[in-house]
Amino acid sequence: MPPQLRLLPSQLSGKTPYLCTQCRYASLASATTPAPPLHQTVSAVSPVSHYPLTQPPSYKPPEFRKSQLHRQYQSLLRSSPLILLFQHNNLKATEWSGIRRELRNALKKVDEALAKEGKEMAGEGARLQVVQTGILASALNIVEFWDPKYEAEGQGTRPTDPTTNTSAVVENTRPDDATDPAFTHGLSRQAWSMSSQKAKSTPSELTPLLSGPIALLTLPTTSPQHLATALSILAPTKEFPAPKRRVNAAYHEKPVQDGVAKLMLLGARVEGQVMDMAGARWVGGIKGGMEGLRAQLVGMLSGVGASVTSILESAGRNLWVTIEGRRGMLEEEEKGESGEEKGENGEQKVE
Amino acid sequence: MLTKYLTGVTTAFSPFNAHSGKIIRSFLALLPPNARSTMAIDVKMFGQSEAQKPAMLTLKFMLEDGKEMQVDVEKMKLTDIEIEVDRHSRMLKRKDELSG
Repeated sequence: MPPQLRLLPSQLSGKTPYLCTQCRYASLASATTPAPPLHQTVSAVSPVSHYPLTQPPSYKPPEFRKSQLHRQYQSLLRSSPLILLFQHNNLKATEWSGIRRELRNALKKVDEALAKEGKEMAGEGARLQVVQTGILASALNIVEFWDPKYEAEGQGTRPTDPTTNTSAVVENTRPDDATDPAFTHGLSRQAWSMSSQKAKSTPSELTPLLSGPIALLTLPTTSPQHLATALSILAPTKEFPAPKRRVNAAYHEKPVQDGVAKLMLLGARVEGQVMDMAGARWVGGIKGGMEGLRAQLVGMLSGVGASVTSILESAGRNLWVTIEGRRGMLEEEEKGESGEEKGENGEQKVE
Repeated sequence: MLTKYLTGVTTAFSPFNAHSGKIIRSFLALLPPNARSTMAIDVKMFGQSEAQKPAMLTLKFMLEDGKEMQVDVEKMKLTDIEIEVDRHSRMLKRKDELSG
């Protein structure tokens, strides 16, 4: 049974409730304008911006899918040092999901092995994605040929920058006009015109690959171990054999095998350098990853150092040997001369 | 493109060749999803240094016909290859319908 509320008869009559007079005065006091903060009294308020700093007006309407893909591909190309290009020939959704699952599992194993050694893990960030080829080609042009030089611009001259003072001389830019040369971001008209001009005169080496259906495998770090595993899953060869049926039965299921047969490795972009299939496999074949490569380099350099010291030493040693030899010869000659004299004397005696 | 009567595709090319590599890759992308089970597809790819090496594309048709079509990739475009394949496939289809 719910508790009964006992109300007083005065509460039922609908009288105005009691109000504290002090509280009323306090509510009136809050209506006065507070004093401006100290930093606003010292420096000027920044000019009003019509667009946020992170969203300057774009040349193409930003609500279009292709504008967003263009931005996304630019950041993908800038942020992933290791990219593998594949052609995908009519893969089905089940085949894609199977391949992605196998790739994820294989990279996870590499991550676990590396985590035991306390090394970097990058397998989580690896992605195999289908891209729009034309938009990727345009984004690649921007990444390769457009250098906005943000550092040279200097701080505190942009109206959107909160550190800019009102007294600063700012070029008059209209927020809805993306053709304005003041805008230097990747989707601006200036970036597009400059990069397309340069791409016409000196096209990127990757340009012939950018046609037809393209899928990208992007890795967030240049890690040969992860690349070798990815190659053994996506494009198995003798050097990078696919996992055995006993070890990984799921890889040998029909959808995965059909999908792998339809993926063609075309090339790679490793830290801005374009490589073909053999180049990609060479990077994957670096033993022990980047640390292995560093160890090889150190070994080579120390070997060079040792040989340099031995060469420098050998010059001194040669000199010492020749001088010693010469001294020996002179001593022998001196001895020989005295002996010959004796001999001559002896012969003379015989005659 | 009619691919029902196609039984074999043999090709060797370099994807770094802007002309032949593009045509052959586009042709391979036109084959249906189950192409690997219905026809023998043999793809050999050259590297970047061999981009100017002449590319080769050979198409084989049904066994009764047994025609091997050597495609001149330097002269033909993708649409020309499609037209040729369609023409021959239609001929085979007509024969098939008359006999069956």
